[in-house]
Amino acid sequence: MIDNITLIVDSSVRIAATLLFAALGELVAERAGTLNISVEGAMLSSAFAAAYGSHATGSAYYGFLIGVAVGIVVSLVQANLSHRIRINQFVTGLVLNLLAIGVTSFLLAEVKMAPVQFGLVRIPGLASIPIIGDALFEQRAPFFLLYGLVPLVWWVLKRSRWGLELNAVGENPTAADANGIPVDVRRRQAIYFGGLLAGISGAYLSVGLIGAFTPNMTALRGFIAIAAVIFGGWTLSGTVAGTLLFGGAEALRVSLPALGVTITPQVLIALPYLAAIAAIAVLSQRRRQPAALGQTFGRGIS
Amino acid sequence: MSEAKASTSAAGPEVVLGLRSVSKRFGRVVACDDVSLNVRAGEIRGLLGQNGAGKSTLMKIVAGFVRPEAGEIRIRGETLGFGDPVIAAERGIAMVHQHFSLVGPMPVWKNVTLSDRGHKKVDRTGTSRQIREIGQRYGLDVDPDAIVDDLAVGERQRVELLKCLRRQPDILILDEPTSVLTREESTALFGVLRRLARERGQSVVLISHELEEMLEVTDRVTVLRDGRVVSTVESAEASPDSLAQEMLGHDVTVPAEVLGLTLDEPGKAAGVPGSLPARSGVPSGHRAAVLELSDITVASAVGHKLLDGVSLDVGEGEILGVAGVAGNGQEELTGLLSNLIRPDGGEVRVEGRTIQTGRGRQLSRAGVGVIPADRHDSGCVLEMSVAENIALGSLDGMVRWGVVQQQKLHQLTQRLVGDFRIITSSLSAPLRSLSGGNQQRVVLARELARRPCVLVAAEPTQGLDIGARGYIWDRLREAAAGGTGILLLSSDLAEIMALSHRVAVINRGRIVSTMARADVDLAELGRMMGARTHDRR
Repeated sequence: MIDNITLIVDSSVRIAATLLFAALGELVAERAGTLNISVEGAMLSSAFAAAYGSHATGSAYYGFLIGVAVGIVVSLVQANLSHRIRINQFVTGLVLNLLAIGVTSFLLAEVKMAPVQFGLVRIPGLASIPIIGDALFEQRAPFFLLYGLVPLVWWVLKRSRWGLELNAVGENPTAADANGIPVDVRRRQAIYFGGLLAGISGAYLSVGLIGAFTPNMTALRGFIAIAAVIFGGWTLSGTVAGTLLFGGAEALRVSLPALGVTITPQVLIALPYLAAIAAIAVLSQRRRQPAALGQTFGRGIS
Repeated sequence: MSEAKASTSAAGPEVVLGLRSVSKRFGRVVACDDVSLNVRAGEIRGLLGQNGAGKSTLMKIVAGFVRPEAGEIRIRGETLGFGDPVIAAERGIAMVHQHFSLVGPMPVWKNVTLSDRGHKKVDRTGTSRQIREIGQRYGLDVDPDAIVDDLAVGERQRVELLKCLRRQPDILILDEPTSVLTREESTALFGVLRRLARERGQSVVLISHELEEMLEVTDRVTVLRDGRVVSTVESAEASPDSLAQEMLGHDVTVPAEVLGLTLDEPGKAAGVPGSLPARSGVPSGHRAAVLELSDITVASAVGHKLLDGVSLDVGEGEILGVAGVAGNGQEELTGLLSNLIRPDGGEVRVEGRTIQTGRGRQLSRAGVGVIPADRHDSGCVLEMSVAENIALGSLDGMVRWGVVQQQKLHQLTQRLVGDFRIITSSLSAPLRSLSGGNQQRVVLARELARRPCVLVAAEPTQGLDIGARGYIWDRLREAAAGGTGILLLSSDLAEIMALSHRVAVINRGRIVSTMARADVDLAELGRMMGARTHDRR
């Protein structure tokens, strides 16, 4: 029994980690008032780029970096289309997501590759803690970035001037503008940060967690990351909790049959999404979203 | 700023802010027309004018939020570039906006530090200490840790002011600062402004349309009308009457019947021949009330009373003009009668029947038609056709089994387009393709086609040319002659005077006075519109 629980916790955390990277980036982007749905496309592109990069360079590390770079490139396109020349951000995001599926599937058919996977890193001592030891302290290398990124995002949002300005831009862009804060610049920067983290998420998925690239392998996890942010009421702790919940639901889907529990497969597949809808419906009322979320800003007349 | 300068000193006080021939237009609307202005050090300067006179736009140009087409701004003799609020702030200009530039969910101290540019560290203790210090110095008491959303409007303004004062600006601009304040709060604010000007030699520009407070606090007043400077006078030598006259001016589109009634000779009003064109056989005073509002109260989210015990009645075939500067409750009144706002108290009766307000369609079913002030916002749908816009008003009679009967709609539209002489390329042309005057005719036609017993007309001719305006006036008179009771809300006195049987004055959400059209004294009316006190009830 303990073994089973350990297994499920481990698997939950591994899946949650993928979500959490992307969700941290999305949290920052949404706090600035942008609803950046191209996080999905950025993850998928990065996952492919990291896999191919690791094959080409023979190093999981270089592959990872190449993947992250591609994530940033996708966010550059998104940010400049939506918050420089002001094309509708949902349309932009949707197009980028579709483009990512198409391009990665096409390239996958064109190239043969044998991606290199990160090895497992075990923190001595800590990893021996029962139940959570394996989950938190024996993982593929990029996983451990989370231990730095979570406090960093907290600091950015709570303490830094950049974070303060992002919040102002997300809550009341007109007021931010009146205070001399360049609204679109801050929003683009927030999307770049989102792209960096979506890149980490995608690269971790392919060369960390799985060690391969398969068509559409992100399978809408980018949207689940957005759901986690909403679930978490746009707070850091809530977002972490959201990714754990959705990660757990996904882990159950994978492990329940292995544990001999028989549920209709269709229900199992739907489980994480049902959990997302239910959780959001019940819990997202607790805290207001950033007031200007998803709204473009332009100076009005008079 | 060691030398505090007396504002009235004749020995050529330094000009801190100089405007030369500044012009700005928004589309076809001229906001500022060749405006030149000098503000001296240590002076409190008032900018007075009606809504749309260009006061706010002018100051937003100075603060860098609006870019003018032409002109020059000089700060202490040096040219200031246009359209950059950051540079304007660095050069010592600070502006307290009419709509505050505060982020509601954040605490006061974060809002205050938000205006620090560059990479300054976010310093909670330092900022809080500064807030307390400045607060003590000027009597602006605010808790640095309070969340802005929880503060009353007066307190928010203090935060806004603190933000500006912290940067020790040379020129402090306040846009309608007292419109949200109580009498006591205003007096306190004026105390702060005087101290700034006298003790620190800072210049203050105060935008307002309130005559009495202008004279109370300013050294000089510049009157703007239609984007132009009409005059600049020493406050000590000006009177509310003279300012009111300059502010209102003589509208060129005022018809003869109103021109006969001058500000200097109010007594003549009653004797003007034809001042009340025959519109209705019903003798005034004996009309049955078709619309009655009693003790209507509407409060904003923070408890500020937008409508404060409003009671009025409109008789059958009567036009009741509600005069007032925009923003004194007219919007709420229209919203109430369009069912967009649910009142916090009071009763609405139409033809003697109490109407449940705030329930969809109840007012409209009872026969209340509305021409909203902003026709683009809530009066019509620009992307839809003329016919569809007309159908929006009377769908009930035109729908069978849930399907719009195109033939019937077509017939109605054709008739109305003819009746109202609407110029359009076709009935299916999008409303956007029509001129403003014709768009308004569509709205008017739609509302009148339903033969309402009450018509609420809010700024029905705003932005229209003289021809369109005259046409709409005629139609409104006609409707009244046909028995419709019209509630006319207008900030244009000429319009009020041209149409109304009776005139009510609205000021800060209250009806401060109601009088027969013949008893109107324009100067007195202007004063009541701009007055701060409500003693005249």
